[in-house]
Amino acid sequence: MMRFSRFALLAGLALAASPAFAQQSGQASPAGDAKQGEKLYMTVGCQECHGRVAQGSVFSGPRLAPGPVPFQAFVHQLRQPQSEMPPYEPVVLSDKDAADIYAFLGTIPKPLDPKSIPLLNGG
Amino acid sequence: MPKTPKFAELDRRRFLKGVAIGGAAAGLVGAADAQTPPGAESAGSAPGKAPAPSAVQMAAETGHPKEEAPLTTAKTGSDFMVDCAKALGIDYMAAVPGSTFRALQESFVNYGKNTKPEWLTCLHEEASVGMAHGYAKVAGKPMAAMVHGTVGLQHASMAIYNAWCDRVPIVIFTGNAGPVEERRPGVEWAHTVQDGAALVRDITKWDDYPWSLQGFAEATVRAHVLATTAPMAPVLIVADGKLQEEPLHPAEEAKLHIPKVAMNIHPRGDDNAVRDAAKLLVAAENPVIIADRYARTEQGMGLLVQLAELLQAPVVDTNSRMNFPNQHPLNQSPRRGPLVAQADVILGLELIDFFGMTHSMRDQLERTTRQTSKPDAKLIHISTHDFLVHANYQDFQRYQPVDLPITGDAEATMPALIEAVRREIGDGRKSALQARGQKIAASSKEFVERARGEAVYGWDANPISSARLYMELWNQIKNEDWALVSSSSFSSNWPFRLWNMDKHYRHIGGSGGAGVGYQQVAAVGAALAHRDHGGRLVVSVTGDGEFNMSPGVLWTAAHHKIPLLTIIQNNRAYHQEWMHVQRMANRHNRGIDRAWIGTTIADPNVDYAKIAQGYGMLGIGPVSDPKDLASAIQKAIQVVKRGEPALIDCVMQPR
Repeated sequence: MMRFSRFALLAGLALAASPAFAQQSGQASPAGDAKQGEKLYMTVGCQECHGRVAQGSVFSGPRLAPGPVPFQAFVHQLRQPQSEMPPYEPVVLSDKDAADIYAFLGTIPKPLDPKSIPLLNGG
Repeated sequence: MPKTPKFAELDRRRFLKGVAIGGAAAGLVGAADAQTPPGAESAGSAPGKAPAPSAVQMAAETGHPKEEAPLTTAKTGSDFMVDCAKALGIDYMAAVPGSTFRALQESFVNYGKNTKPEWLTCLHEEASVGMAHGYAKVAGKPMAAMVHGTVGLQHASMAIYNAWCDRVPIVIFTGNAGPVEERRPGVEWAHTVQDGAALVRDITKWDDYPWSLQGFAEATVRAHVLATTAPMAPVLIVADGKLQEEPLHPAEEAKLHIPKVAMNIHPRGDDNAVRDAAKLLVAAENPVIIADRYARTEQGMGLLVQLAELLQAPVVDTNSRMNFPNQHPLNQSPRRGPLVAQADVILGLELIDFFGMTHSMRDQLERTTRQTSKPDAKLIHISTHDFLVHANYQDFQRYQPVDLPITGDAEATMPALIEAVRREIGDGRKSALQARGQKIAASSKEFVERARGEAVYGWDANPISSARLYMELWNQIKNEDWALVSSSSFSSNWPFRLWNMDKHYRHIGGSGGAGVGYQQVAAVGAALAHRDHGGRLVVSVTGDGEFNMSPGVLWTAAHHKIPLLTIIQNNRAYHQEWMHVQRMANRHNRGIDRAWIGTTIADPNVDYAKIAQGYGMLGIGPVSDPKDLASAIQKAIQVVKRGEPALIDCVMQPR
């Protein structure tokens, strides 16, 4: 029946998510509709591997937000994915769609400090 | 058995059949009479007149003439079969009732007094075998399962495959009707086969269809020994219906004997090869140890710790067994990729997929494979897996040539390897090894910090994140003697990243064959073994797709008072399959928003709490707000501590 596979391990995107990479790129992202982006994020497959709040998983795909990679790197990964991520070509996901999803990722707030969560610090 | 001439035996059988028809007819008449209120007239009969005989009554009158023959017997072949099963020291027999073993079942519960083995009532044969699978991994010995001939074995076959792939011993019995002239017409024919084990021969270590009771005794003991000797695997014995049901007279019984049940010593690796392995490992600059289906026992886990500490070598645990304490500084599982890439010597312990450890595959339109280990890295493999490579099923994975293949059980070989390594390490090497160990230990401290940093993302999300679930659960079990009897690979592996997995019984690995439906049934079997080993607090996190394959096992847990906390990781989908279909949709460029069709389990949402309640146990949920989780877990644990099962339906993020 089912065989486990590392489904969408976005090694390239994970690398790009590092602060150093973001500083090097330093490009502005296009305007996008975050609401429409959220709708797309939930329906075109993003949430399946990266989680409904883009938190990521070590087994299916890395965290995408908060602090998404620069837009150009984001689109490049969609079109020409490194590693195992399925490709999103313009015919099924336009640049506008990508911008909307990117705008949604930009709305995801920063998480709590792990030190402020008792369950992550011994109870 | 009595030395009754064949013709006489057949005559007796025919007579019994005739009596059965007559009896049934009489019974029907009696039943009709019983349903008639006193004083009432039968429909269609004139008052004051005797009613005309019915067709059934006519048949009773004109059927076989009555003959004098015994209708009962004090002992049957099935009683002796129970003696054989008892000789194995097996504690439980899991079964759905089936007519092909009706005599055996009656013998177990009456003659055998329903103890050692105790009969466990199951609602599906996949559950019977799956429970035995989970049980064996905790108890360290097999449970038996009895499955109905043909259809029952067909139900059980996927669970047998999982146990086969996972190298877990199970003693399985099935029934089969006897000679053609003695089969009851109809269903008994449909449930009869020429070769009772053919269906699962590729995925069992051994099977037999004994044609005498002495043969049954020898087959049963042989099966048990084979199943429990590495490489372990399920075995199957066909219990012939005629052998089960025939009377067993004292004179015949006196001639029967059950062979002594002696345990085989697990095969160990060749001493010279072990010495060569020690030399390679001690001389290596960057060795790595990868443990897969290695540790069968707590002792095995301790031995691996000894070896790793002697060598100050990093260990990668695939979590197929609880091989190595997750917080030991030499546990470097999260760094598997870089460790394999830089290794000059790789020691594999019972690796199912050595090739997969040294290569990666990219699942795109064109599948490409890349070697990730150094081409000149020396590979050592200690394993018995090659003993069980069969045709057809491809669970043996891609062939990986190794420099030093050592055929032997890795746990049984470990003391010799430790001794050889100890002899090989000179004083001059010790300081270099210590320095390596210190470097490794420093990097291991980062793992927990990194995991904590990742757990906060989605911490307050609704539905609940897998990190939040596992840490809420950990908070309430960490001070107990607990065991996790489910795999966490589909929930980001949080227990191995943030819990303290320090004992062999804390975890039992996964299904082996990835056949969906294993998780919940194996959890109940494992919980039974934990109950018998001192009443540990047992928890299982089961995917909703997994659970729906065999929910009836909840009733078995409730009926037999098996304490287990089940948390349904309810992502309302066959999520892995959803991702697979999504991949195909992206690849084909004709729509990317319909992969949910046929892969999601929503509309309507399944109410797992109600299902649990229906099976007679506490069911809580659905819980989708993380703030409600702590109280739900607390309430469920109270019930589990009373010795009962409980279930929480937790609506969750995908992974």
